[in-house]
Amino acid sequence: MISVTPNTSNVESLDLANLTPEQTALEIRNLNLHYGEAQALYDISMNIPKNRVTAFIGPSGCGKSTLLRCINRMNDLVEICRVKGEILLHDKNIYDKNVDVAELRRRVGMVFQRPNPFPKSIYENVVYGMRLQGVNDRRTLDEVVERSLKGAALWDEVKDRLNESAFGLSGGQQQRLVIARAIAIEPEVLLLDEPTSALDPISTLTIEELITELKEKYTVVIVTHNMQQAARVSDQTAFMYMGKLIEYADTNTLFTTPAQKQTEDYITGRYG
Amino acid sequence: MNKWFKSGKPYIWLTAGAVSVSLIAVLGLLALIAWRGLSFFWPAAIHEVEVQANDGSTRVIIGEVYDREEVPISRLQESGVTLEGFEGEMLERKLFKVGNREFVPLDFMWVMQPQIIRDETPQDLAVLERSKDGNFYGYVVDVLENGESVANSENLREVLFERIERAVEFNEKASDLQQGPIGAINYELNQLRLEARALDLEGQLTEAEQQRLAAEEQALNEQYKVLEKELFAYREAASRDSVVMRDMRGVDVTIPMYRVLDATFPNDMGVLSKVGHFFVQIGKFVSEDPREANTEGGVFPAIFGTVFMVLLMSVIVTPFGVIAAVYLHEYAGKNAITRLIRIAVINLAGVPSIVYGVFGLGFFVYMVGGTLDQIFYPEALPSPTFGTPGVMWSAITLAILTLPVVIVSTEEGLSRIPSTLREGSLALGATKAETLWRIILPMASPAIMTGLILAVARAAGEVAPLMLVGVVKSAPMLPVDGNFPYFHLDRKFMHLGFHIYDVGFQSPNVEAARPLVYATSFLLVTVIVGLNLTAIGVRNHLREKYRSLEH
Repeated sequence: MISVTPNTSNVESLDLANLTPEQTALEIRNLNLHYGEAQALYDISMNIPKNRVTAFIGPSGCGKSTLLRCINRMNDLVEICRVKGEILLHDKNIYDKNVDVAELRRRVGMVFQRPNPFPKSIYENVVYGMRLQGVNDRRTLDEVVERSLKGAALWDEVKDRLNESAFGLSGGQQQRLVIARAIAIEPEVLLLDEPTSALDPISTLTIEELITELKEKYTVVIVTHNMQQAARVSDQTAFMYMGKLIEYADTNTLFTTPAQKQTEDYITGRYG
Repeated sequence: MNKWFKSGKPYIWLTAGAVSVSLIAVLGLLALIAWRGLSFFWPAAIHEVEVQANDGSTRVIIGEVYDREEVPISRLQESGVTLEGFEGEMLERKLFKVGNREFVPLDFMWVMQPQIIRDETPQDLAVLERSKDGNFYGYVVDVLENGESVANSENLREVLFERIERAVEFNEKASDLQQGPIGAINYELNQLRLEARALDLEGQLTEAEQQRLAAEEQALNEQYKVLEKELFAYREAASRDSVVMRDMRGVDVTIPMYRVLDATFPNDMGVLSKVGHFFVQIGKFVSEDPREANTEGGVFPAIFGTVFMVLLMSVIVTPFGVIAAVYLHEYAGKNAITRLIRIAVINLAGVPSIVYGVFGLGFFVYMVGGTLDQIFYPEALPSPTFGTPGVMWSAITLAILTLPVVIVSTEEGLSRIPSTLREGSLALGATKAETLWRIILPMASPAIMTGLILAVARAAGEVAPLMLVGVVKSAPMLPVDGNFPYFHLDRKFMHLGFHIYDVGFQSPNVEAARPLVYATSFLLVTVIVGLNLTAIGVRNHLREKYRSLEH
């Protein structure tokens, strides 16, 4: 009856409802979001554990990307968007008035659906965040570039052409470059918004392997349309439907013994 | 038939036809002005024709065939011309340019073709290009040095060319001296006068200051005397020789050599030397100053003024336009007021340019310029410094005229940048301003250049507003020279567009000026195309650099 093979990694399962502060990266508390009159998120509450991969799944329009974009306040760019509730990062609400949004985004990096390298060289793409922070020392930047590109499993492919345009890379390479760019500034949390939806299967595989490596250093939150992918890469999965969080559990549990009927229907392919 | 319409073919024909018509119109226009303008520089054959009048008397005319036309005989008879022994309805007549302006009442003459009884092009006929009174046509008889003949029939041309070269060299030395060191001294003397006036106004013109200024003036005057002596020496050397010419009346005329710029024997030239002469003439046209109320000589000051003013305008309009577009697109709230402002900006592009000229004159020249004069240049008053039309006010007026173009295309460029790039930058902790500066503006730069190209194309051809805010028929000095502060933005300037108008419609000698109108028009088009090509080159380079992602 269950169509996907769950994650076989032997990560100890956590009591997601009662994480210790050391285990917690983010706490979402009663989050409601409106676009103008229409409500997009209904009273979401969840804990996202540290150094783990958390996946948001659900049918199109269920609000999973919206929720992800709340975590680094990208929704601020949408003028008609109103957010109520709290998201705590180190016990501090990121929606507080005195929060520096740029600083928040430095700590919560994001990778988008389509690769979006800047029209600059590979090198300049990676060091963009560092330059923003005023780091211009060549040696420091060189180190950052090497570390980040290695971290994104791209170093061997581009080390000889760092000064060429990033547009010369393939789609999969561009997406890894964007990941390298995000981890160059060493964020705590990395948000991935359907990072493989525009890529071919081989590039997808590379990125998925990369995601499993990334959780060693970062807390990863991934939105995906692809249930197999969620099952392969994530440690816990949240299923959302119509702006509501229906079920949130260990990936193994969610995919093998879902507690909710709606979850079961979705993962068995009845809708979505 | 119906099927043919449905197939869509008529629309292909219609659209392609429209493109062809436009193309033919543009190319035809360019070809016409290029032909009319450039043929002026081609050395035309000089004819010696004998004309027999109705009463049997004959006279000789020497000159170039300038124009020819067919006229109905009836019209000639109506205007009182008696024609005998001529059959037919139409009659050809030729317009001869006979030059020698100081000896003949009109330097252009119409001659009826049937009245010409002899038409020859002798090889010895020469054209002298002169700095005054236009061309001289005739036979070279002799070359004189201090009134003594120095040539014989063997080496006449050689000696003539040699002596012309010598005289031209001295003339050039003299004019270099005049425009260089002597001009600088005059400029400094004027500065001293202004300094004295300024000190006087502040009540600080003490005895010591007066003495210092007087001493400096004295020193300059002494320098001037030395240079003046040199200048007179050059002039005297230039006027040592003269050339004796026999004109079409058969009279020998002595022409001082310092007036002669060039001599040619067009009837004795091969195609190759004619081509050479053609390019030399074009070179002179673009590099020399105008003479004889702009009907002769070159148009260099006008080219310089046009290009300088357009560059100055670009420097002003680009930052303003870009900043305004950035505010409208990035920061202004997306509401009715912003939309209203945007519509107003677009409509500004439709305001007739002369209105900008009036505005520029009233606001910039009189108000702003007048105020600047009172604050910064009180010593020069009552003669205005910036309170009078000048190149800076022209550039600013045209900058306002072209501002909407730059704003609109910059905004379009900004809106074409994929939002994913903005988000990518913001997600890395960049503020909006940093994103703008590092990502958005570089990526919008091709669009900014497009705006600038359109602005340049519009501004370089604008004449009407400039007539109010700074263009003159003849500017004694270029807006850039070697005197500190090198850029004199308060000066008036010459402009190719106005030059066309002036030569074509304000000239005392319409016939002589007509080819110059075409030549100058062609040049103006060339200058604008040149400016545009430069900008397009820069834009294509930027486009290649910031090519956006191909999704």
